[in-house]
Amino acid sequence: MKIAISYPPIVNEHGQKAMVSQNRNVQFFKTPTYLLPVTHSQAATVLKQMGHDVYWDDGNAQLKNYTQWFDDLVAWKPEIVVFESTTPVMKFYWRTVNQLKELLPDTIVIMTGYHSMRMPEETMEQSATDIVLRSNHVDFVMARLAPYIMDNPDWRLTCSLEGLSIRITGNEVRSTGNFRQVEPLDNSPLVDRDLVQWEKYAYENGNYLQTPGTYASSVIRDCMFGKCTFCRYNGPDLTFSVMTVKRSLDEYETLINKYGVKEIFDDSGVWYRGKEAREFAQGIIDRGLHKKNCYFGINTRFEYLDEETIKLMAKANFRFVLIGYEAADDETLQRLNKGYQLQHVETCLTWMKKYGLHPHLTIMVGYYWQTQKQLDTTVSEVKRLMLSGLARTLQVTLCTPLDYTPYHKECIREGVLLTDDYDDFDMSKLIVKTPIPHDRYYQAVREMYSVAFHPLFILRQLRFMLAFRKRDWQFLFTYGFRAIRRVRQHIFNLTRHEGKPDTQDSTEPVSAK
Amino acid sequence: MKVLKIEKLTESTFCIRTERPDVAIRAGQLFNVGIPGAGINREYSMYSAADAPYIDFLIKEVQDGFVSPALNRLQVGNLVEVDGPYGEFCLNPPDNSDQHYLFLATGTGIAPFHSFVETFPDLNYTVLHGIRDPDEQYHEKDYAQGRYIPCISRNIEGQPSFRLTEYLIKYPVNPSSIVYLCGNRNMIVDAFETLREQGVHGNNLFTEVFF
Repeated sequence: MKIAISYPPIVNEHGQKAMVSQNRNVQFFKTPTYLLPVTHSQAATVLKQMGHDVYWDDGNAQLKNYTQWFDDLVAWKPEIVVFESTTPVMKFYWRTVNQLKELLPDTIVIMTGYHSMRMPEETMEQSATDIVLRSNHVDFVMARLAPYIMDNPDWRLTCSLEGLSIRITGNEVRSTGNFRQVEPLDNSPLVDRDLVQWEKYAYENGNYLQTPGTYASSVIRDCMFGKCTFCRYNGPDLTFSVMTVKRSLDEYETLINKYGVKEIFDDSGVWYRGKEAREFAQGIIDRGLHKKNCYFGINTRFEYLDEETIKLMAKANFRFVLIGYEAADDETLQRLNKGYQLQHVETCLTWMKKYGLHPHLTIMVGYYWQTQKQLDTTVSEVKRLMLSGLARTLQVTLCTPLDYTPYHKECIREGVLLTDDYDDFDMSKLIVKTPIPHDRYYQAVREMYSVAFHPLFILRQLRFMLAFRKRDWQFLFTYGFRAIRRVRQHIFNLTRHEGKPDTQDSTEPVSAK
Repeated sequence: MKVLKIEKLTESTFCIRTERPDVAIRAGQLFNVGIPGAGINREYSMYSAADAPYIDFLIKEVQDGFVSPALNRLQVGNLVEVDGPYGEFCLNPPDNSDQHYLFLATGTGIAPFHSFVETFPDLNYTVLHGIRDPDEQYHEKDYAQGRYIPCISRNIEGQPSFRLTEYLIKYPVNPSSIVYLCGNRNMIVDAFETLREQGVHGNNLFTEVFF
């Protein structure tokens, strides 16, 4: 079959592009950031291996405008188109699907993504979508679904593969029930780099210190913890699958030796820990990959990696470690189900600093309960961690309920959601009622990002150079300029509603109507 | 929390009882458990009843691990960090007492099911417990007569040996059962396949991967 896996370019009124993929929330950026959608890349790979004609169609990374992207897709005449959506771009996707179906009525449109998988009826009502995948295992489901459709003309009536909402005709839709929550990750192919044109994602990514960089095929799908209320990798319907260490090492070896990759990031919700983490790091060393001038990066959690493991990872040339800090008060961490205790933050960061890793903290502000005191505590703690060199970089976002996560549902239940227009969920402004004016949160964002320009922070980076680690010199000279440009953009994105009338004063929460 | 009791069950498996934190707990939830000040923890499902005045954890020491060996060295009266509860792998028993529940576990993955059974004594259930050796039948007497079925995989002379998944194939499940699976992911993947083939609806299958 002719199958397109498609990401339309989405540009907002500020000329900023949205990046949609399972790896992260949608945000609009003027400076391009192209992230490889890993699970969908694996889906494309397996479909190609099965003999299907696969069109990897990422309009963003391929630098197309919408019309160009749309015309190219229509001209290719796919039998199946797979989209991936999330809350802030749902309306855009529904319009796109309807437009596409007008020109290609026989093309089967399959919607994937964490929003539609939790609200399949909505997408069926709002668009001419044929199938909503209620599973996050797009690769495994597509590998079963495509041959079934090919072999069974009456698939709309007969297909019983788990985790699908299927349009039978008109408004008549049927569900095939819950999806398989655990799939053997080793059975999904490693990403075919040539198929997905990996080089288009290799340079424009703010987290790479060296390029070309790339995302590894994730060693863990979803999250080993999976309990944080705001995160899409959460829910009784989601669990996690793990790839074997050897298989991942084989991929790293290929990426370095065949493709010349200089930085590899694994965007698993949380990467290996304990024994598997040590086996992986030791495997990198045993294969000599730590001497190939390639850095490695991961997501982890506080209280997941012990000192011995961190030491070994540093020896193996790990550098970038992204950790969800979220907030610096216990009440917020408990309400978010973060599952770590503040008292251990410093221990973990101290180990990472000691062995030369570059911890990157992610912080959120604007929780619907967040008081001025809680906000001030977070700002001052973040500044302390950055200025003392315990953390190297940070990312602050406005906590936005998305994809019907437990936090999203909680906001609806508590009657604090100020809008139900999905276009407003783009993380550019707060959309929940809060105990203090929204401007205070925007100011906090500005204050935290401004740490990058603080003389003490710069002095700290200079002092790191005395350790004569190449990465520290690169951090200051290569990365510094790029980081400042991105910091300015983050500040613009997250504070452009600063000073505007606070909508929460004049808006009745929609979830209370 | 203070350690109240330690029970060695096998060479590598043990049960730790701690004080109960002052929070609402549902059977099947888990806690992050660690040694105070160590800066590292691991998730363990609660093994005891949700309303018990203490919390039990069933733990297998991981060779070359960090947290579980440290927990195995604890003594009664020592302190242990217990943070939680977390998770939604819980059971809400229906009004219909005839509803049959099938619990499939490997190794210490039986912990949440022990908690279910202790919390809801009138539950109509069967536990299939996949283990390697007979001594891993942890507290098998806590389960009602005939409701605990050990699936011992090691060949021992004079004793039947079979895997949990083989048992499932030999004795098909009533498709109306509600099935919970917990433990090793390979068992979960294989059992899921078998259960679907036997007509159990995907909506009646709930999983929690331990390792």
